Amino acid sequence: MLEPGPAVTATRPPWLAWLAGLGPMLIVALIAAALYWSLMLAANLGPAARTLASGAELDCRTALACASQLRNPVVPAPAQLAQGFARLSTPVTSPLALPYNVGVTAGETVLGLVLATVTGLGLALLLVASRSFERATLPWLVASQTVPVVAIAPMLAVLLGQYGVQGFLPKAIIAAYIAFFPIAIGMSRGLRSADPLHLDLMRTYHASGAQTFGLLRFPVSLPYLFTALKVSVTAALVGSIVAEISTISFSGLGKMLAENSRASDTVALWVIMGYGALLGVTLVALVNALERWVTPWSRR
Amino acid sequence: MEQTVTPSRTVAARPGAALPTAAALLVGVGGLLLVCLILPVPGEGAAPEARAWLAGILALLAVGALGVRGAAQGMSRAAQVAPALLTGLLAVLTAEGLLRAYAVPAGLIPTPTRVLAALWNARTVLLQDTYTTFVLEALLGFLAGTVLGLALALLVVRFRFLERGLLPYAALFSSIPIVALAPVIVKAIGLDWPSKTVVVAVTVLFPVMVGAVRGLQSASPLHLDLMHTYAAAPTRTFLDVRVPTALPFVFGALKVASSLALISAIVAEFFGTNGHGLGFRIQIEVGRFGLDVVWAAIVLASMAGIAFFSLVSAAETRLLPRR
Amino acid sequence: MTHASASPGLPTSPPQNGPPIVSIRDLQKVFPVPGGQTVALQDANLSIQRGEFISLIGPSGCGKTTLLRLMADLEQPTAGELLIAGRTADQARRERQYGYVFQAPALMEWRTVLKNVLLPLDVMNVPGDRLGRAREMLKLVGLEKFERNYPWQLSGGMQQRVSIARALAFDPPLLFMDEPFGALDEITREHLNLELLRLWRETGKTVIFVTHSIPEAVFLSTRVVVMTARPGRIEGIVEIDLPHPRSDDTREDPRFFTHATEIRELLKKGHA
Repeated sequence: MLEPGPAVTATRPPWLAWLAGLGPMLIVALIAAALYWSLMLAANLGPAARTLASGAELDCRTALACASQLRNPVVPAPAQLAQGFARLSTPVTSPLALPYNVGVTAGETVLGLVLATVTGLGLALLLVASRSFERATLPWLVASQTVPVVAIAPMLAVLLGQYGVQGFLPKAIIAAYIAFFPIAIGMSRGLRSADPLHLDLMRTYHASGAQTFGLLRFPVSLPYLFTALKVSVTAALVGSIVAEISTISFSGLGKMLAENSRASDTVALWVIMGYGALLGVTLVALVNALERWVTPWSRR
Repeated sequence: MEQTVTPSRTVAARPGAALPTAAALLVGVGGLLLVCLILPVPGEGAAPEARAWLAGILALLAVGALGVRGAAQGMSRAAQVAPALLTGLLAVLTAEGLLRAYAVPAGLIPTPTRVLAALWNARTVLLQDTYTTFVLEALLGFLAGTVLGLALALLVVRFRFLERGLLPYAALFSSIPIVALAPVIVKAIGLDWPSKTVVVAVTVLFPVMVGAVRGLQSASPLHLDLMHTYAAAPTRTFLDVRVPTALPFVFGALKVASSLALISAIVAEFFGTNGHGLGFRIQIEVGRFGLDVVWAAIVLASMAGIAFFSLVSAAETRLLPRR
Repeated sequence: MTHASASPGLPTSPPQNGPPIVSIRDLQKVFPVPGGQTVALQDANLSIQRGEFISLIGPSGCGKTTLLRLMADLEQPTAGELLIAGRTADQARRERQYGYVFQAPALMEWRTVLKNVLLPLDVMNVPGDRLGRAREMLKLVGLEKFERNYPWQLSGGMQQRVSIARALAFDPPLLFMDEPFGALDEITREHLNLELLRLWRETGKTVIFVTHSIPEAVFLSTRVVVMTARPGRIEGIVEIDLPHPRSDDTREDPRFFTHATEIRELLKKGHA
């Protein structure tokens, strides 16, 4: 066969391109750090001056020098953040330290996401199977997307507690409750988006309904599922943290947030935020990895 | 014409089916209404025989559902709108009936009528809360975040350096849970509403920026080449090609951001307020088991959410001529 | 039966005698449109023998794709009789009598090239070595080196070849092709025309081929069915007496131009 295949041009190895791409990110990070430093000084200057004036014993003389050493800073200094990070991260396995609590929240979120996926899939199947069901419920599902569902979380937490659902599960259920809408909507769209040509093709094969579903409709809907999952995973994380805040919890990021918010421990709040961000980014990255593994045919 | 004309499944409106449908709806809705009227309010009168009522209510619901199914046939406008409205009505009536039948205490789940009553009784406080949460926090924060996001997007598109240096962070920031961000900002800025406005602005900023960048970069190369052959000024190319292609992306992001804004405002209020706001109200009343007020606040928050979304959609239809 | 065994004895592949594999009488298809109806096909009569290569040619709206879709049981006729191998179109589809090649390759992007060819074999639960059979088909279209690739990694012409391999995989006696090379450039198209003729000779299939290119129809076919529009109908049938096997030289044969002119005149007649 003479026809040439797609041209394969030699490019730089991917890791090199990746490394080269980090340069601008590094510079932006440096600029952000400089901005942060000046912002921190500006924000803390007032309280520092007041503390000095009140005659408190500090090992610094000027307000500027004290700005980075306040006990309860408005914005913590990098050194304080590092100390706080060390204080809250060790010992790693302690139920009072952050790594353990991050693990608890991660577990709730993942369980919630699994529940949400199962519910969302079932709902999507119903929506696709019955037009009456779709017309009766879809407007409500779409409207519920615009509703701040987290508002319901505290109430749901109390309600589940009343009916004896305790521990790990209520948080996972609340996470699922917040996360299943995007999945249901995304999947019902995906299950409908089979190419008419492919449907004709399956018809020429005299394929059964189950075969058309398994070989055509389901694989077509997978990219839609992952798009929805990426939205859902952050929503589920927010849901489980809010649930931890709203119920009597003994562990989890939400419990630590509520505790330190009451105690006004600013440094701890910043460190928890860092961990929360890390958890969020990790979960999204996991979903991305899962997507690449399940749908290897995608170009990106 | 000949290519792929698949015969659309023509659903002939059967005139004979209208009567049973109407009857089923009448029996379902009317019956449930009757049940709600007969049963006493939880906490008053003798506790009813729950099992028998449950069976009756479920039977009426099934009849009503059959009616909804009948109403959903055909392609008319009524067949597309009525089922959802009827389903909402049936759901509310069923909830009311079941809660009354089982005499569920209002401290656990209030009946819809109680929620309505609470909505009316606490209207001054609740409306002020809605004003604080919706207008001062969500709307203002949304506007600030959008303006900042669009400005950053312009910079990112203009300077390739920023695209590589800033855009990855935006994607990163989008996956930070708002709940973790809110306490830090509230502690730094203070308990009054501006701290919540800032939280909203920060959460809105990144999705808007990412959407706008994607939109601005998705201009068709053919259109850009065309403008190049006209020797058009860069601003003309920007206004005539880049902005129109970017608008659908921007509005897609704004729709997502509109619901994010309200969620962030409510969550941020969980971490300290000066006594106003729907999130504050929900949290304080949950603690006091005043769940009727909680539900009333949720209803208002939902209405605010739908209003917000409709606002963005209306702006979209005005600014986008197509569709 | 293996497809390859049919080839050596049939160097020129003459139409075989016997009962027709496709028989169409007074076939009609009317589509309802808002405020009336469109006659997509009217009073079509056609009989096709086993081993023929038939082209349906005509302008858009002449009903050539509709006719093919009727034969494939993708549309139902509103009147008339249609028999495929002596059965109704529905029965023929259930017995998997034909393979269908669409205008677009219509490969499933989540399946590798090999798995795309494997698809009909899996759906139909064909007994025996399916993988070997699929590989054999890929070899037939010269793409055995690409079996692990995904469709998007192939050019348009290569994708269409995979789609042909897929249609042949379960060895149906009939091959329906709906403008399969319509979206390809002229050079690739001529190349694939030669390939298709080789496949036709080697496998002894009956091919029904929709096109809007006169040279393509003349080059490929044993007979060309000329159709015209509004309403869609068969204007005439042109026998192509060019010798087999055909090659690039066939395009220089004076008879090639005679036939092309004949078809063009028929198309013009329908247009007037």
